[in-house]
Amino acid sequence: MNARAWISLYGLLIRTSVRSRMQYKFNFVLSTLLAALIQISEFLMVAIVLYKFGAIKGWSLYEIGYLYAVMTLAKTLYRTFADEVHHLEKYLVNGELDGLLIRPLPVLLTLMPQSFRIMLGEVLQGGFVLYWALSGMMQSGQVGWTSVPLTLFIIFTGAIILFSIGLATATLGFWTTRISELQNITEDAARTAAQYPLTLYPKWMSGLLLTLIPVGLVNYLPSLYILRGEMGPWVLALTAGAAVLCLVLSLLFWRLGLTKYQSTGS
Amino acid sequence: MLYFTLASKAYARNLQYRGAHMVHNLASASFGFMYACLWIGLGQDHSLGEYGTQGMVSYIAFNQAALWVTTFLTNGLGIPLSVRTGHISLDLMRPVHLFSHLMAREWGQIAYQFVYKSIPIYVLYYFVFQLHFPGSLTDVVCAAAALAGAAYLSICMNFLIGASALWTTESSWLYWGNYAMSNLLAGFFIPLEWLPDWLERIAWLSPYPYLLYVPTRLYLGYGGGSLLWGTLLWCVLMTLVCLMATALLRQKVEVQGG
Repeated sequence: MNARAWISLYGLLIRTSVRSRMQYKFNFVLSTLLAALIQISEFLMVAIVLYKFGAIKGWSLYEIGYLYAVMTLAKTLYRTFADEVHHLEKYLVNGELDGLLIRPLPVLLTLMPQSFRIMLGEVLQGGFVLYWALSGMMQSGQVGWTSVPLTLFIIFTGAIILFSIGLATATLGFWTTRISELQNITEDAARTAAQYPLTLYPKWMSGLLLTLIPVGLVNYLPSLYILRGEMGPWVLALTAGAAVLCLVLSLLFWRLGLTKYQSTGS
Repeated sequence: MLYFTLASKAYARNLQYRGAHMVHNLASASFGFMYACLWIGLGQDHSLGEYGTQGMVSYIAFNQAALWVTTFLTNGLGIPLSVRTGHISLDLMRPVHLFSHLMAREWGQIAYQFVYKSIPIYVLYYFVFQLHFPGSLTDVVCAAAALAGAAYLSICMNFLIGASALWTTESSWLYWGNYAMSNLLAGFFIPLEWLPDWLERIAWLSPYPYLLYVPTRLYLGYGGGSLLWGTLLWCVLMTLVCLMATALLRQKVEVQGG
């Protein structure tokens, strides 16, 4: 099978997943509304801190809105296509991965489209905050039009980084079976931390968020260049390079992990 | 006696997973740690009102530990699962009321989580952040009463979330929606008086502040015991709602063959 056939098959699997979801329209509407509610309350937590204290560590309201929006959109992109990677635990606990292993496709490619999520609420909200932050900074002359393609670029590289972190965490499940606790740290806590400028944290913690769990590379580091002109354009190249490196490493790790998979008896 | 047995069985069942739960505690503690770092960072440039930096760290630490008593309960008290398996019809046939039966089981769960999650997390923070214990015994007693009330309120909320599983397959979203609301309106991360005026007013119209904000204020010695009346009022109201929901649920239940 060549790559084109894989992609068209991937598209077919996604369409199937969407259609199956649409069989229960009320459930779809309810889950979309509640996802939006969760998203809004998450944003309000950040917004209220800003409303109360104004600038944080020299970062303005717009700049922190930007950090938040980039992180939200990158996460949305990752979760739209690879939500099941985040939910690998249920496949490991119930032994459901067996069914995917016997298909004539790479396991990851069959796993990912199992549940294609339409995250309209997150896209709208992240897009709105991004629009607000960027247009505010454009009016004050802080950034120019070039920031728009650069932002789209870092959302894309950010999604790859978040996917890699998610995949590496999920892969550990081949040894530990249960991964939700670990995901709490590497995905949820780390992502929440990176919604604020990393200078807010103790040195060792911001170091950790730039290296071992590199969520800081999703939004904080590239923003230093895009918004503030600090360092140089090489930061973006570094981000892209890091994203590719993370992806390769996590895929290699995934391949190793798969060989350790043990099914469950019934 | 039956209720006590149900609760103690739920407690004993959890004992099997003590090791895994200790790992989980590290995850939970790291979340709180991150929030505390945020407030420490903010406290360097801003004044943090009546709390001060150390006060805000104590606030976050107590909240994070209290989450295991007042927020992280069994999703829908396990009703969604028993709806899916059809077990719900058996549960409804039992000679005990569904609400009190599930509640007794959940109290066992809460007791376990208090001993093996809340306390270890708080002890960890006590050493990491050099926290202070409250000055007076009254504060501790009031906070304990408020926490017990909060746990009961949370049981009621989860019962209602669980009951919704008879109408929708997506009730787990309600669980997370409820969690998100409680993050915001219960004052988990930000004390309620710092919310915008309109949001603070909305919060006080809901039972959420009694889940975390009130117990924490009492623990830190900021609130008077009169806040407990609010807890009591909401407990009574929520009990009535749960009883009504059970009556509705009885008429809705469908058993699918298989």
